[in-house]
Amino acid sequence: MIVAPDNIGLTAIAPAFALLIAASVGLIVSTVTRDARNGGALAFLGLLAAGVLGVMNLLAARSEPFTAFGLQWSVDAASAGMVLAVLVGAFLAILTGWDAVQRTGMDRPEYYPLILLATMGAVVMLHAGDFVVLLLGLEILSLSVYALSAWRTGEHGSEEAGMKYFLLGAFASAILVYGMALTYGASGSFTFAEIGTLLADGSGGVLALLGGALVLVGLAFKVSFAPFHQWAPDVYTGAPTPVTAFMSVVVKVAAFGALMRVASEAWPAARPTMDTMLAVLIALTLVIGNLGALLQSGAKRMLAYSAVAHAGYLGLAVLAVGQGMATPTVVVWYLLAYTLMNGGAFAVLSEVMGNDPHGDHIESWEGLGRKRPGLAIAMSLFLFSLAGFPPLAGFFGKALAVQAAFEAGWSELAVLALLAAVVAVVYYTRFIWAIWFARGGKGEPQRSAPASWAIALAAAGTVAMGLFPDLWFGLVDGARMAIMAGM
Amino acid sequence: MTLLALALPLLGAALAWFLPGRLAVAGALVSGIATFVMAVFLPNMGSVSLAWLPALGAEFAFDPSGVRSVLVIAAALTMVPTLIAASRLGADRRNTFLALLLLMQTTLNGLFLSTDLIVTYVFWEATLIPSLFLLGLFGGEHRRGAVTKYLVYAITGSFLMLASILALRPLSGAASYAFVDLLPATRELDVVVQTWLFAGFAAAFAVKLPLFPLHSWLIDFHRQNHPSGVADVGGTLYKVGGFGFFAWAIPLLPDGAAAFQPLLLTLAAVTALWGGLAATQQKDFKSMLAYMSLSHMGVVGVGVFSMTTFGLTGAMFLLAAQMISTGGLFLASGMLHDRAGTFDFDAFGGLAKSAPALAALFLFTLFAAIGVPGLSNFPGEFLSLLGAFEATPWLGVVAALGSVVAAGVYGVNTYQRLFLGPAGERRSDVAGLDVLILAPIVAGILWLGLAPAPQVDRIEATASVAVVTQVEAPIPPSLALGGER
Repeated sequence: MIVAPDNIGLTAIAPAFALLIAASVGLIVSTVTRDARNGGALAFLGLLAAGVLGVMNLLAARSEPFTAFGLQWSVDAASAGMVLAVLVGAFLAILTGWDAVQRTGMDRPEYYPLILLATMGAVVMLHAGDFVVLLLGLEILSLSVYALSAWRTGEHGSEEAGMKYFLLGAFASAILVYGMALTYGASGSFTFAEIGTLLADGSGGVLALLGGALVLVGLAFKVSFAPFHQWAPDVYTGAPTPVTAFMSVVVKVAAFGALMRVASEAWPAARPTMDTMLAVLIALTLVIGNLGALLQSGAKRMLAYSAVAHAGYLGLAVLAVGQGMATPTVVVWYLLAYTLMNGGAFAVLSEVMGNDPHGDHIESWEGLGRKRPGLAIAMSLFLFSLAGFPPLAGFFGKALAVQAAFEAGWSELAVLALLAAVVAVVYYTRFIWAIWFARGGKGEPQRSAPASWAIALAAAGTVAMGLFPDLWFGLVDGARMAIMAGM
Repeated sequence: MTLLALALPLLGAALAWFLPGRLAVAGALVSGIATFVMAVFLPNMGSVSLAWLPALGAEFAFDPSGVRSVLVIAAALTMVPTLIAASRLGADRRNTFLALLLLMQTTLNGLFLSTDLIVTYVFWEATLIPSLFLLGLFGGEHRRGAVTKYLVYAITGSFLMLASILALRPLSGAASYAFVDLLPATRELDVVVQTWLFAGFAAAFAVKLPLFPLHSWLIDFHRQNHPSGVADVGGTLYKVGGFGFFAWAIPLLPDGAAAFQPLLLTLAAVTALWGGLAATQQKDFKSMLAYMSLSHMGVVGVGVFSMTTFGLTGAMFLLAAQMISTGGLFLASGMLHDRAGTFDFDAFGGLAKSAPALAALFLFTLFAAIGVPGLSNFPGEFLSLLGAFEATPWLGVVAALGSVVAAGVYGVNTYQRLFLGPAGERRSDVAGLDVLILAPIVAGILWLGLAPAPQVDRIEATASVAVVTQVEAPIPPSLALGGER
């Protein structure tokens, strides 16, 4: 079980390293040349390199998971798959903001390097094999995103968003650290796998339980489980839209990856209690997220609450995975689907809002079907997919998660999730109605070629994942490969 | 080959959407006719099964046997005149209209043919989107209310059904969602579990059937749809509720079905009576047709819920026949609206004097719809009621009152208005495209009316019938819907 601490795995950390190099070089280049887009071009290179290295990690880990630096860095098919989802999310967000950032005077040299650093933080979080590395990744990610949220200087909402996110985020990190400390006190280890083994006999007692609960609260903040979601609507709305696009997918994927690993590896001791706590959070999230979204008339705030609601569905899958009743691939599948449909929706939103930070009101969407049919079709696809209409990606995400919940015996929670989804259909279709059927409409959406690419890519992905769901599932699912190899 | 039933209309939808002007119409019509020709040969084609998402237990599986191809044929037969009628609309939005209709046909065919429950759900839900767009884009002034009502009813039902579907495999331990894999496993489930699961399915199917008191979306839906009647034919989904009960819910969950049988049978009989009585009170064609459809669906309901060979077979036959006859009526009412700009009965007094052929064809189709012997609906209605009498005689009487007696009243009423009243304004008679639109309908009515036996036999051979009516007997694998696997 204990692996020698000198197994330095350079290939394992290569994706994170590629992002770090691209960010550092990009920062220097764009500062010297005073052109943020030079940093942006390097960001694409960095993402591409990280993507290639990430695919190599995935292919290697699919047959057999491996670790590096003792047990501190852990690569399995699920984490490698989620790294790819993070890279896709970052790529979409950069494309979305390529023109928007310049248009609104936000193209300062640090923008793209900060995005890359945040992405790197997400990669570190996903591969973390112990609590220290997890915290490291979390802070790299969070500090970059705090700064990015306040990026639109002079804009009151943006500055408020950055400040709010920073204060609440720091608070959540403190709780997480406290939980880690208590867990260490109970077990004597920071490593997930060791904690799981050491406490398997239930020797941790109250200390382990309290530690686990505080860790759960700290991570619940990041994945925006209710009642720790309150920052999300305000920060999502205040932050510049391309940053919101980034935040809504990359931060979510990273936080869910971490939660899933902690839940499945480090919790065996406190199993039933922790599961019940998680289930309560999920139930609250499903109800509050969906009802909250129903009350919104701005698309950005609606999508913020919808992101909270989706955390509930993802939580169902994590709950089942933690109990060993479902394969982690279910979560990985959902996270890429979510990245594509949500990233795409924010890309369209960014085009519709243009330079007006308040241009997301439902009235701005009226008549989009006549003015920009392509944009309207894409947005309809994203909204239908988020609502869970087949045969789009969102449907299979929801179906896999709910089936996993039934499999693990959480029938009431599964039924609640689907009833809450009825509410979701209502708030998503309000925008569909405005886009296609409402008369009138004001404002002209932007026309940005890179953003259009992001939208087209996300739309194609949303449809393809719905029509050929097994492509991504089969690519990630290491277990099935092993079975097939054994035959 | 079976997949052509999906590919052809989908291709047609793409052609209608992307081709310019009249070419789009040509593309849509050619694909509509090709789908019909293909559908005629469908019963002899083999079943298809492709892996889709094994982790979920979903298989892309289709089988054209039994009732499935009968329904596809009836839908394809109705779609041809519907497309012709749609091609007469204004050029600006016509192509969208055609594309949505063909998309609708694609999803309906998928729903009828799929033998995997997940795939069935996918098509079930996908049918909503074109029907919503047909109503939202082309509907009347108060369409927003109609859309919202329809959506909330439909989605609440289907998500409850999704809960049942997703619970079905984990709870029963079936290997996949294919009918043949589910059947032996789900029938063994505990009675309480079956009852809950059946309730989920029933929520979705009862809304779409629709059963009293969940029917109010249907009336608004028809009233607000485009006056040409085209969207009423192509975009209305009530044909899928009865089929869902027949093909999935009842055979898979026999104990749950038994628990719900008295309630569902009563509601269906009340639906038949309520629809029939309400139809006699309407002042315009479209509302009358809406309530008439409701009454027919009540009869389909009593047939299915009787769970007898007669009832099940008759109900499915009636579904197919009803698609053609009611479809024809909506298209004919569109022609009436064309001529007068209204659906009001009073505007058509003495229509037979100025437009004898139109009045006669309307009446012919109406008579077919209300079950005059020798025409399409009669065998289905007769067998459904026979099944109901076999199961619960007094409910059979209630249903018969609604469907036969009330139908006589509104049928004769309509006859009086159109033929006997004083001659009103002059209306032009059927000409040109009108003939092309109504000819396939008349042919279909005569086909099912004069030679019902082959289709009845086909429906009776469907596995569901055997499974449901011989609950105690073991199911021979050759009868399973999926055919050879």
